[in-house]
Amino acid sequence: MDRSDVIVIGAGLLGCFLARALRRQGLSVIVLEQSDDVCTGISRSGSGIVYPGYDMAPGSLKAALTVRSCRDFPALCRDLSVNYRACGSLMTGAGPRAEAVIRRKYVDGVKNGVPGLELLDGDACRRMEPLLSANITCGLYAPGTCAVNPWELGIAAFENARDNGARFVFSEKVTALSRQAEGFSVCTENGAYTCRDLINAAGLSADSVHELISRPSVRLKVTGADYLLLEDGSADALSHVIFHEPEEKGKGLTLIPTADGNLLIGPTERDVPSSGDDALYPAGGTDPAGPGHNGPQWAGAPTEASGIRWLRERCHEVVPELDTEKVLRSFGAARPRPYLTGADQNKSLRDFVILEEEQFYSLIGIKTPGMTCAAALGEHLAAIIAQNRGIREPDPAFDPIRKRPVIPRECSFEERQVLVRSHPAYGRILCACRDVTEGEVRDAVHRGATTVEAVRRRTGAMMGTCQGGRCLAEIQEVIQDELGC
Amino acid sequence: MSWDVNVLVVGGGAAGMAAALALAEAGASVVMADPGEKPGGILNRCVHRGFGQGLFGEDLTGQEYAARFRRLLRESSVTVRPRTTVLSILPDRTAVLSGPGRLEKISFERCILAAGSYERTPQSLLLGGTRPAGVYTAGCVQGLVHEYGQDIGQRIVFLGSGDVGQILAAQLAAAGKQVLAMVEQKDRPGGLPRNRREYLEAANIPLILQSTVTRLHGDRHLTGVTICHLPTGKESFLSCDTLITATGLIPDRRLADPLMKDGKLPEWLIPVGNCRRIYDIVDVLAADSRKLALIPQ
Repeated sequence: MDRSDVIVIGAGLLGCFLARALRRQGLSVIVLEQSDDVCTGISRSGSGIVYPGYDMAPGSLKAALTVRSCRDFPALCRDLSVNYRACGSLMTGAGPRAEAVIRRKYVDGVKNGVPGLELLDGDACRRMEPLLSANITCGLYAPGTCAVNPWELGIAAFENARDNGARFVFSEKVTALSRQAEGFSVCTENGAYTCRDLINAAGLSADSVHELISRPSVRLKVTGADYLLLEDGSADALSHVIFHEPEEKGKGLTLIPTADGNLLIGPTERDVPSSGDDALYPAGGTDPAGPGHNGPQWAGAPTEASGIRWLRERCHEVVPELDTEKVLRSFGAARPRPYLTGADQNKSLRDFVILEEEQFYSLIGIKTPGMTCAAALGEHLAAIIAQNRGIREPDPAFDPIRKRPVIPRECSFEERQVLVRSHPAYGRILCACRDVTEGEVRDAVHRGATTVEAVRRRTGAMMGTCQGGRCLAEIQEVIQDELGC
Repeated sequence: MSWDVNVLVVGGGAAGMAAALALAEAGASVVMADPGEKPGGILNRCVHRGFGQGLFGEDLTGQEYAARFRRLLRESSVTVRPRTTVLSILPDRTAVLSGPGRLEKISFERCILAAGSYERTPQSLLLGGTRPAGVYTAGCVQGLVHEYGQDIGQRIVFLGSGDVGQILAAQLAAAGKQVLAMVEQKDRPGGLPRNRREYLEAANIPLILQSTVTRLHGDRHLTGVTICHLPTGKESFLSCDTLITATGLIPDRRLADPLMKDGKLPEWLIPVGNCRRIYDIVDVLAADSRKLALIPQ
């Protein structure tokens, strides 16, 4: 029986940052994840925007955490050695309804304490973003908005938590929870664990995990969003994240120059069926891979070809000259929409909900801006648990710095030459599209990757123009060599 | 100005090897950088025959064809840099080469760009549905199966019916895989008539014409595809574990694009082979590359 101070169920962005924050408080942590890697659910695909905090109701936990998180984000990325694009954002509108929305956001933003907000007219918007349509009549500039790769952030938090002693167990699906005299017993498909405090951060499965030990309270409905990612270098077309608020309500469009240099266009939100072939498969649902399969691995939410085409057409209303033909890939993202049991499913809960019952904490339906606030939510909850345990000071042995992996393409020619001479594998390019070397692929395996997908997310290999068509076989061979299979 | 070499050849597939040999015969000093274990490029993935009638007067497999060229290279004065990728070509006529244990800048008088092509990816096709494993391009599968001895799924659907797809479908069927269908948008299959007879018809691959794949199904791994009959819009589900796309090649101009000025490349940079235009027959590609390499500036 494995015992720890705290067990966290789910290794998405939240689970990883919770583990990191709990270690900072000196608490021992085990994270149980049903998939074979971190960030494979909601955190697998998202817009990667660090929101400035004007969208949230003044006075809410969400508003406070978002504004603080956005302010602290550059420092967090420095600690974790994560690339981000400090691009700021421009919310644009083209008509009276959108102008009213934008003015309201400005007022809320000022109340929430968002720094540097500016209301702009159409021409001022175009001075900042020359490719914007002549139809744009107003805008709201927020300098603090950033773009970051969600799984890069999650993997960095995971590695830092792990290096500080957090234990992550993968392919470990929780099947039963029960209260013991001094805490909880957690049963999985492969074993049993005990802990004093228990945190449910199971993402899209958080409601069913909650109901393993508690009465139904908040449930999740899953919505989907379609995304279109344009070719490498396409991010150069824009210098800010653009949130376009059209006259037609609910048909908004977001254009994101990503940290990797691609332009990401999204999202259109729609319902994902809860059953049938295109349904998602949360814990307790039917696993299509059949018995013997170690819990569902998310292939992402299904996307709709019509939704993607719609994005493309819509895009031209905002940035008419943008070339959207050269698509790198398209994908669907899953988003939770929490509602109170017994209430109308379409009435979503607005604020972050942390259900707390005697050492059991459930984070159900942490949706946008969940990535922005993941670190802050982790610290928030870890502080509550530490306080309940009488811990006054963080653990001085905790090291918040995560060493950046060796990335030859980020070196100068001379640095790279020295590196390649001393470590020959950094000279051998496996992925030519993104300039990823054999050394990086081997390092990714040493860092914990066991699958091609995990290597892809840790190195950026196979994410460029050919999407792995040319290099998959070679990379797979190196991974197998490194794993000894 | 003195250069490290007369000619740098970027890429050691059929085009690069043909150009390098021609230039060395003409007395130039040549360095040929190739990312593979051994030169040959995509020929090294081709275990089928149909190569070499024009150039060697014999019917060879792609791998044999590449081996012939490698023998000629060994007998020539060409310096081959295997497992070496050209990272960039700069306007001052230098290139950055990266290989195991060695990163260097080489200056050259001329550069033959023989970087080949890449396949249109299934990811770019705006398919609906999930993004499961088990979806590949035809060339990727050729590499996995024929060059690296890796396995793929058992029940296979092809999207697109070009030459590469037809040949691969017949090979996979011969290896005991179930090739369930080849889905083609047009009202007849693509590719050379010769290949159609020799592979598609001989292996009895079912064709689904005037149709396309519109949706992927499956959670972790592919479980099926939706096929849409284009004239009627009627959709049907086909259960499968592998989708292979053979929807065309795109010249790889990644290294050349930054050097374009007013729509033109510098005269010292000469694209040959599939990165110049997509060829159907390798003998023609090799002969053209030879000629282009020898045109005086």
